[in-house]
Amino acid sequence: MKPLPYSDELHQAAHQFLVEEAALLDAGDYLGWLGLLCEDIKYVMPVRVTTARGAGFDSLPDMGHFDEDMYSLLKRVQRLLTEHAWAEDPPSRTRHFVSNVRTFAFSETELYVESALLLFRSRGDTREADLVCAGRTDLLRLTTEGMRLARREIKVDESVLRTQNLAAFL
Amino acid sequence: MIDLPGVLADVGRGMIPARIYNDAEIFALERDRLFSSAWIFLAHESEIPSPGDYVVRRVLADSFIVVRDENGTVRALFNMCLHKGMAVCRAEMGNASHFRCPYHAWTYRNDGRLAGVPFHAEAYGGDDGFAREDQSLLPAPAIDTYNGLIFVSLNADPPALREWLGDFCYYLDFYTRQSPAGVQLRGPQRWRIKANWKIGAENFAGDSYHTPHTHASVVDIGLSREPKANKRKEGALYMAGPGSGTTCKLPPGGSFLEQLRYVGYPDEMIVTMAATWSKDQAGLVEESGFMVSAATLFPNLSFVHNWPVIDAAGTVAPFISVRQWQPVSENETEVLSWFAVDAGASEHFKRQSYRAYLMCFGSSGMFEQDDVENWVSITEMAAGSMARRLLLNSRMGLTSEDKPVKPPMAGFSGPGVAYQGFGEFNQRHWLSQWSEHLGARDEATSL
Repeated sequence: MKPLPYSDELHQAAHQFLVEEAALLDAGDYLGWLGLLCEDIKYVMPVRVTTARGAGFDSLPDMGHFDEDMYSLLKRVQRLLTEHAWAEDPPSRTRHFVSNVRTFAFSETELYVESALLLFRSRGDTREADLVCAGRTDLLRLTTEGMRLARREIKVDESVLRTQNLAAFL
Repeated sequence: MIDLPGVLADVGRGMIPARIYNDAEIFALERDRLFSSAWIFLAHESEIPSPGDYVVRRVLADSFIVVRDENGTVRALFNMCLHKGMAVCRAEMGNASHFRCPYHAWTYRNDGRLAGVPFHAEAYGGDDGFAREDQSLLPAPAIDTYNGLIFVSLNADPPALREWLGDFCYYLDFYTRQSPAGVQLRGPQRWRIKANWKIGAENFAGDSYHTPHTHASVVDIGLSREPKANKRKEGALYMAGPGSGTTCKLPPGGSFLEQLRYVGYPDEMIVTMAATWSKDQAGLVEESGFMVSAATLFPNLSFVHNWPVIDAAGTVAPFISVRQWQPVSENETEVLSWFAVDAGASEHFKRQSYRAYLMCFGSSGMFEQDDVENWVSITEMAAGSMARRLLLNSRMGLTSEDKPVKPPMAGFSGPGVAYQGFGEFNQRHWLSQWSEHLGARDEATSL
């Protein structure tokens, strides 16, 4: 399947969706972010591994950093909104950079969207900042309320993460 | 130079010099006197089920290929070519009959034996110049397993593993032998944290005191099965052999079946547990009324068992995690965190348990996130000169005369010594083993 041309309105809408989503995350508006997700959201991030060329796999089939549905994402958001989520208090300064967006028309109401994500995360005043680099494959659904995220697979580009936890969404 | 006898004396009276959590000299001593001789976990047999399956794991800077050879024997081979020293395996995992060095193509069978040297006749004059027979990748000096957990020692003559584990095996079985099928490990998730490796090990060894505050958020959101985190003070702390751990108090009066149902196990697993564990082991649950929670096997292998609420319907699902605090330096640790589950459990249970694990522990776990924030901060604070003047009070549970505030529990079903309530008995137990290693000059290994 060929990606939609950049001039296509669906591509532009999908790209804008990802940028608006990133803005919500960087503003810490997690409830607003949940509002962009379908009720049947699947949000997964497999563990990547270093394997020989030709091994036929480079991620673990049965272990992820995330394997979430709406309930577990809601719990994660609720936790960040408590007064006791020390992992993000004081909050990190984050910037979600989204690029390399390719949109594929999958059906009348669904788009596959690939994007590259670079998360910059700075905690405290003197610590070295963390970078998490990943490719994402999303299924975006066109609903009566607008575009919504139905599936996300995050393909992180490191085998060993160099951020102290994933108290952030990618 | 560090005043090691002074440091160890302070540790011995429960006043911990803060600098030990971020000090290059201490780290060098740990490398030379502790990791050079202790039994260190590398992998679990379930990670390499078939001949040729391997994973690559480290003991500090030493890389080992943990491989099941063609005969099914599990080996730990130092991952360095005998010729010029390149890593012969540069993947983390896979399946291979041979490992071939990319540099000059020396090739080793998956039992470590040298199988091929290019141009052997022309370059070496055959076996006269270099006898290939009996050449092998260096094996770990000692290797042994318990419940499929593979340990190595860089000391060629360590105590027998089972003997060294001693009474801790009683507790280890709760995590790694719920049925004759044994446990299977999935993962690990790996990530690096700017924290000293000892802090996580000590925390899992016995810190029930941190739960009510550090993990208040998971109680706030109803993730925890227990409505009040301060219920942890009713739990028992135990020390047994080289390990120690925490437990949670179960509801009063429950039978073995009821207690394990309470933490979310399905009946068919409970029946198997009853048949697998000894009467004494079952007694911990039924007679004493405790369920194992976190534990650490000295020096850097920890376990956790917890039973969160995993969906809106209120389903309680238990999970087990095995985790290793792999030191990188005095201020950095690689965490390897596996999801562990009874290999004989149903796929339905495994799915629920995996979900429970991901929500609570590991790289994204809602408990673990807050733990790591604390440990990174301790490590930062321990770096400077003021930290060299500070002795951290780790005397919880002791009177000024070094007597326990409360006597050890009488009639506790498990072996070792147990105390009910909060205390830092376990952390001191862990630190006393640490002190023994650092205080000893190990002639056998300091070459």
